[in-house]
Amino acid sequence: MEIAFAGAYHVVMTPDGCPFSRRRFLQAAGGAAGAFAASALFAPLLQAAIGKTVDVGVSSAASPAERARRAVALVGGMKSFVSRGDVVVLKPNIGWDRTPEQAANTDPEFVVAVAEMCLAAGAGSVRVFDRTCNDARRCYVNSGIKDAVEQFARKNRVEDALRIYHVEDRKFVRTSIPNALSLKEWDLYRDALEADKIVNVPIAKHHSLAGITLGLKNMMGIMGGNRGQIHYRLPECLVDLHRRVPVALTVIDAGRVLVRNGPSGGNLADVKPFGKAFASRDVVAADGIAAEKIFRLAPRDVEHIGRAMASGLGISSVGQIRLVEG
Amino acid sequence: MMTTRKLRRASQWVVFLLFAFLFLNTEYKDNDVLPYAVNIFLRLDPLVAGAATLAGRALIGLVWPALVVALLTVALGRFFCGWFCPLGAVIDAADATVFRKTRRKGAVPASWRRYKYLILVFLAASSLFTLQWVFLFDPISILIRTFTVSVFPALNLVIHRIFDGLYRSPGPIPAFSEPVYGFLKSHFLAFEQPVFRTSAIVGLLFLGILAMERHQRRFWCRNLCPLGGLLALVGRFGLFRRRITEAGCTRCGLCESDCRMSAIGGDVAVTDHGECIECMDCQAICPEEVIHFSGTEGRKPAAVDLTRRGVLASAALGAFTVPFFRVEAHGKAPDPLLIRPPGALPEGEFLARCTRCGECMRVCIANGLQPTWFEAGIEGMWSPILVSRIGYCEYNCTLCGQVCPTGAIRRLPLPEKRKTRLGLAYVDRSRCLPWAGQSDCIVCEEHCPTWSKAIVFREERTQTARGEWRMFKKPYIVEDLCVGCGICETKCPLADRAAVLVTSRGETRSTGVLAK
Repeated sequence: MEIAFAGAYHVVMTPDGCPFSRRRFLQAAGGAAGAFAASALFAPLLQAAIGKTVDVGVSSAASPAERARRAVALVGGMKSFVSRGDVVVLKPNIGWDRTPEQAANTDPEFVVAVAEMCLAAGAGSVRVFDRTCNDARRCYVNSGIKDAVEQFARKNRVEDALRIYHVEDRKFVRTSIPNALSLKEWDLYRDALEADKIVNVPIAKHHSLAGITLGLKNMMGIMGGNRGQIHYRLPECLVDLHRRVPVALTVIDAGRVLVRNGPSGGNLADVKPFGKAFASRDVVAADGIAAEKIFRLAPRDVEHIGRAMASGLGISSVGQIRLVEG
Repeated sequence: MMTTRKLRRASQWVVFLLFAFLFLNTEYKDNDVLPYAVNIFLRLDPLVAGAATLAGRALIGLVWPALVVALLTVALGRFFCGWFCPLGAVIDAADATVFRKTRRKGAVPASWRRYKYLILVFLAASSLFTLQWVFLFDPISILIRTFTVSVFPALNLVIHRIFDGLYRSPGPIPAFSEPVYGFLKSHFLAFEQPVFRTSAIVGLLFLGILAMERHQRRFWCRNLCPLGGLLALVGRFGLFRRRITEAGCTRCGLCESDCRMSAIGGDVAVTDHGECIECMDCQAICPEEVIHFSGTEGRKPAAVDLTRRGVLASAALGAFTVPFFRVEAHGKAPDPLLIRPPGALPEGEFLARCTRCGECMRVCIANGLQPTWFEAGIEGMWSPILVSRIGYCEYNCTLCGQVCPTGAIRRLPLPEKRKTRLGLAYVDRSRCLPWAGQSDCIVCEEHCPTWSKAIVFREERTQTARGEWRMFKKPYIVEDLCVGCGICETKCPLADRAAVLVTSRGETRSTGVLAK
């Protein structure tokens, strides 16, 4: 395992910083080796000055399942997030009537691997669902997730503990969000509200409004009602949603990445192999690193991630991130 | 001699249960292709087959099973109505329950039974001139349409309301109700509550058919059903028929007074074989056990007097009214919102074949296919129209073409379906949020299913209502990529009227002409 302090981030992360000059500055400053040396020397001091650090695990293992397992292991293993007997809601992206190759939904093997880890950590039950955009039945089937989860549950005789099911209207609960920036009240899914832990398993992809969609945006799957309307103030709404329903662990599938025409895509030419997974207890940190590594975007330039940082939902600067690669 | 009557009742039950089973399975069940012919009842129906063939001017391979029924009727008589017809079974069930104690006053004149023949003549004449009205009277079409549009959605709603109530109730009640609900949900209930236009009126018309039982048993079948009329004509010389061993008959008249079709008349030994549906009640109740059903010839029936005047009038009505419908203006300027299912034939052929059975609406995965009122004219009533504000056409779905019993909607392979254009979307720039300088919104673009997006953005400066200049991502429709599926209109977050709408412009099938 290689541990790199991403100290370079906080060296350049000033409130008025422009990402591109920051990057260029970085490159000019002597490349990876120099940055590594510098960060190893100065990072602890700076981190002490800014606040506590958050680990983000990055795995490049060969298979989706192995990537998921490695990424979670790098941040301490599932046992640091899920306790014995917990009711866990596992929220993948099953939003679209697309096949795994089209990379609009989380990879089924990836989902199963995370579910397996939850069970191994002692979760009493793991519930998998998403409120889809296309017909829910088609999404569950063609994403491959329904089959994969059910097959795994059958094979390991954990049909009761691990279940994938469809969202039902009657289970949405009108929920008020105190001190909301924008989303003062919304219908949220009862199972998510009542869960002990939420494990957020998005797929990284391009998004036409949000720029990219990662962990923060994936949680829209627990929202009922006319979700299109929150696009008016998406960044604020996402912050409010996460404040009300905090996520225990975010594991981002970046095996195949839809780089254009997201979030629904369809065209295989828009899908690029990336072969990575990211994991963190801090959804903002996970999204921040994923934005940088996958899309070469400075987190603050992705409006909803920037807004989440500013609002104190998670890390307030990338400088707080400790990158753990393996 | 109870056995044959029991057999007949068993047959009605089995057939009705089969009907219900197929109805419930006319639905997406995690499989892109429906594994069996859920539409088989319609394809067995000689009236549907005849009218669609005649009006559509085409031999329709799908309806070959109707030929089997017709041939069986030649051999066996009008058995279909007594043994097989699911509407007949429902009517008998209503009779045995709701109207069990009804004392029927004021007999319906026997001469009324000729109306079913006159309706048949009318239908045949108009079909001959390409105008197909069979949907108004065909019992199978009526039953499936009613179940699709009214009965099933209503039942689904009621069951949901009950179990939702139990689910929210305190204490241990949900622990008991939820497993039951789960079972119902996976076997009987709709995946999502369906809603339909015209559902109330379709339901009331059906209740009307049942309510007529108050006046006469099998009122519909005796007097109105043109399928019954057709089968009577085909089956009146059937080889299998009612026969009395006259030597033992005491002329008690029990069979005559009990006959649900009044097919026994004047003399108890005389059977109108056109009217007799071979329910075998008379055989079961005859105290002397002298009634049999067999291949042997009995006494000649008395013919129903159709009256020459009646036949001519019906034929004339059927034929001569066609031009009136053909000069309706919608033939020249069709309703722009008349969006037909993918694979629909050109409008004239489509209406000639469509029996308004509602199979396509039943199977439509997003509930987007709805019955028309008058968008396609009076003759187009209850034909399917995609109402995108209610539901859209799922890009990867081909189910409607799989269930259409007459090929009015062609069965399209998926690659062809994806290229089939139902219409074109346009943006109402005065309401669209980014266009009107109100706020960001990308919902139509993100849902657009074509692999090269038919909705694209251009970032443009726009003045907001407050006078500031701001960049907005504005949606544009790429017309050669848009297939008119309507998901943009369905999902547009403007709650009342969408700001992106689909009209029939550019539809693939369009030829712009009605039936020749």
